[in-house]
Formats: sequence, structure tokens, C-alpha cells
Amino acid sequence: MTTVTSRDDLELESAYEAPRTDIERRLAGLWSAKLRVAPVGIEDDFFELGGDSLLAADVQFAIDREFGFEVPAWTLFLSPTIAELAEVIGSPAPLDHA
Amino acid sequence: MRDLADPALFEAGGQHRTWRWLRENDPVHRHDRGFWSVTRYADVDRVLRDHTCFTSERGTLLNLLGRDDPAAGRQLAATDPPEHDRMRAPLRKVMDLRSAAAYEPSVITAITGLLAPGLDGPEFDLAAAVRGLPLALAGPLLGLPDEDRPRLLTLVMAASAEDDPDYQVAGDASGTLRRAHRELFAYFLHLVRERARTPGEDLISLMLSPDGGRMNPGTAVSNCYSLLLGASVTLPNVVSSTVFELARGGGYRAWAGRPELLRDGVEEALRWASPGSHFMRHTTRPVRLSGVDLPAGEPVVAWIGSANRDPAVFADPDTFDPARTPNRHLAFGSGHHYCIGSHLARLTLRLFFATLFATFADVEVVGEPVRVRSTFLTGFKKLIISGTPRRGQ
Repeated sequence: MTTVTSRDDLELESAYEAPRTDIERRLAGLWSAKLRVAPVGIEDDFFELGGDSLLAADVQFAIDREFGFEVPAWTLFLSPTIAELAEVIGSPAPLDHA
Repeated sequence: MRDLADPALFEAGGQHRTWRWLRENDPVHRHDRGFWSVTRYADVDRVLRDHTCFTSERGTLLNLLGRDDPAAGRQLAATDPPEHDRMRAPLRKVMDLRSAAAYEPSVITAITGLLAPGLDGPEFDLAAAVRGLPLALAGPLLGLPDEDRPRLLTLVMAASAEDDPDYQVAGDASGTLRRAHRELFAYFLHLVRERARTPGEDLISLMLSPDGGRMNPGTAVSNCYSLLLGASVTLPNVVSSTVFELARGGGYRAWAGRPELLRDGVEEALRWASPGSHFMRHTTRPVRLSGVDLPAGEPVVAWIGSANRDPAVFADPDTFDPARTPNRHLAFGSGHHYCIGSHLARLTLRLFFATLFATFADVEVVGEPVRVRSTFLTGFKKLIISGTPRRGQ
């Protein structure tokens, strides 16, 4: 599959908000690669962008590799935005309370 | 004729009359809603088996009719060979690494726990009790901690009967399905990571191990989900449908008194219950079935529950006969998509019925049973029974 869907073609509830930090930019890039959607805003819902549970598991493992530690398993499933993920990744001592 | 796409028909238990009429009069029937129903054994077997003429990649259940299946090409049930076979082989291999018999003691312990309420009081809801049967198997198989099981049971019910207000975990059916689905994936993701760090002897650890071919962790998560859900939507209904019939028809003592018929009887229970009553396929080219020409691109529903009552294959098909042999039922499907967990399902059902017969000399249905409201799942949601404990209990 070589296509990339424009975010404008999806009917999202959120307005586009650009990544503000390095972590958010890396996450947005990773999501674009996995979801084949560009650009990805930090308030966009992973599942509204076309993600599903199968893909979410894949993305979680990709995030682990990208950032070198395990983001709690619930994060992407229950708080599926880049802003929320970045907050967990950016906090000094992420606790796996899953 | 009653509509086979209407869950209410199944809730009322009327599907068998409709299937019988179709088998005899219109075995390849075109519905107004734009799908075909196939009800004879030979045609059902062909539709399930012949993946070149009948694809699984455009939805495999009637409730997906007219919608895209998001799992197409990514999960076993929704993928055609040869890709299906490439995806299936690693899981098959992992499942063969450890004999199913290794799980027997834990499964028996769990089953005695499920049946305990029947000894404590005058009556109990067998359907509710055996909703724990899938976890009695999946618990030891996947190494699920005991303390997680109540929540998992709640999520499994929500993910498989989302329309039922009794099982909802969010405001409505779609919210319930979404929430349950995501929480289960998150749970297995957590577990897969944990086993990657600290392997045990369970199936998840085996999936990730060198012996198991170091399965991709995302695939391992998806396999865990499919195994648990697959067991959950089928095992309890085999038990409830069978015990209902044994109690109603007076066959309980006959089977319970013949321990040598445990294996054959479980096959008959599978044929009788056919818990997954259909699978859907789409024609990939013009096909002729029982003399009827189907164009390409048509949805075809293969009614397994009907095939398993076809008198052309099963003598006296509406009688439960624990000694029936041969018994080439299609309860596990046919061909490439034959249930990957069939050996585990058989083991669990044999252990269940052996334990049930050891515990109760006879059972009686008391109160009004309630059937599952679904075109796919056949069984009972509520089945209050009163058991006669064997002497010495």
C-alpha cells in the first residue's frame, strides 16, 4: 500500500493542532507511518484516524522501541491522543500501573 | 417463512423449523435482504471448504452484511489461503509445543468451582456458571492470574453480547463493544510485555520464545484475544444447549451411566449445539450449488446448525444420541478455517461432562430458560437447573 490519506479527507471532531515538542513530533511521525494519514494533530483520536485495536498493539510496541521504555498499556487504548501519550512519555518516572 | 437474519427467531428457538423447510424445499435460498442461505450439509461443507469460490475477506458473519470487515487479511478467520495458512502455522506450532493434557488438573479444579453452587443450594443458573468455562481453560493456557478473571469475564461478555443490557460496560451497545475490545487488547498487551520479560510455561511465553518462532508481539496480542473470545462464544453454549436437551428429553442418566461414551457423546453435544450457527462467505465467481446458479460477488450464509441436522447425513438428526458414530459434524467448520482450538475445546468439554456426571446423578430444568438473542450464537443465557447430587456428596 503506497497511499497516504490527507487528514482533511477524514471527518474528525478535533481541529488540527500541530505538535509542540520533540516527543509530540516523533509520535506524530510514527502515527503517520502506521496509519498512513498526514498530518496528525496532537488532539486527534487514534481510532478516528482509522486505527483499530490490532494496529494499536503494533503502535504501542513501536513506541516502546522509539522511546526505549514501556508506556503503560492502557494509554493508547483509553487515552488515544498524542497530547496524552506525550505527557506520559515526558513525565520523569513513568509508572506502569497497568 | 421466518427471517433467518432476525435474532428474535433464534431467541424463540424457531430456527430449526425454518432450516428444515429450506433443506427440503429451497436449499439455496435468496433472501430479500440480498444474501443467500445454504442449509444442506453437502453445500455448507462446500461453501466453508472451497476458499477459491467463497472468500472470507468480505465479512464472515451475517451482522457484517454490507459493511467492510476491518479484520480482513489481518486475522485468521477473515483471511483466505495462502496468506491464512502462513498466519496460522506459527500459532498451530506453538499450540503443539505443550500437550493439552498438561492443563487438565487446573481445568478440573476450575470446573468443580463452577459446579459448586449446584451443591450448595437447591438450584442454580447453569448458563451463568458455565460462562466461566472459557476462563477455566484460557486461565491455565495463557497463564492468566486468578485475580484478573472476574474483570476478564465481564469484558468477554461485553465484547460478545454487546446488545444485551445485562452485559454492557458503557452507555450503549457500540460504546460497550469499543470499551470491552480496547480494554481486552490493552490487558493482553500488558501481559505479552510481562511474559517477554519474565517467561513462564504458558502459551504466551511460548509464542514469544525461540521454540515458538519469536512471534511478533502485536500478533501474539491478537492471538490471545481471538483464543479467549473464540472459546467464550462457543464453549458455554455447547454445555447449555446439551444439558437443556438431556434434561428435557430424559437422556441425562443414559449418557451419565456410560462413561465409555464420553468422547462420542461430546461429539454429539457439538453437533447438537452447533454454537456458532453460521459463517458467511462471498462468491468470487459464478458458482452452482444444488442446481442453483449464484453470480459472483454474492454473500452466502452457510448454516452450520442446519447442516448438522441434515437427515441425508445424520440418521434421526433431531435425537440426541451419545453413541452416534460416525459423527462428521461441522461444528468446528471445515477446510482451512477448521477451528484451531478444537482439541482444547474437546478436552474442556470432556472434562466438563465427566465432572458434571460425577457430581450430579440427574438434572432437572426449573423455571423458564432464556435463549441467546443472536443469529450467530446459539445457546442459553439463563438455564436454572436443579441437580440431584450423587450419594456420598
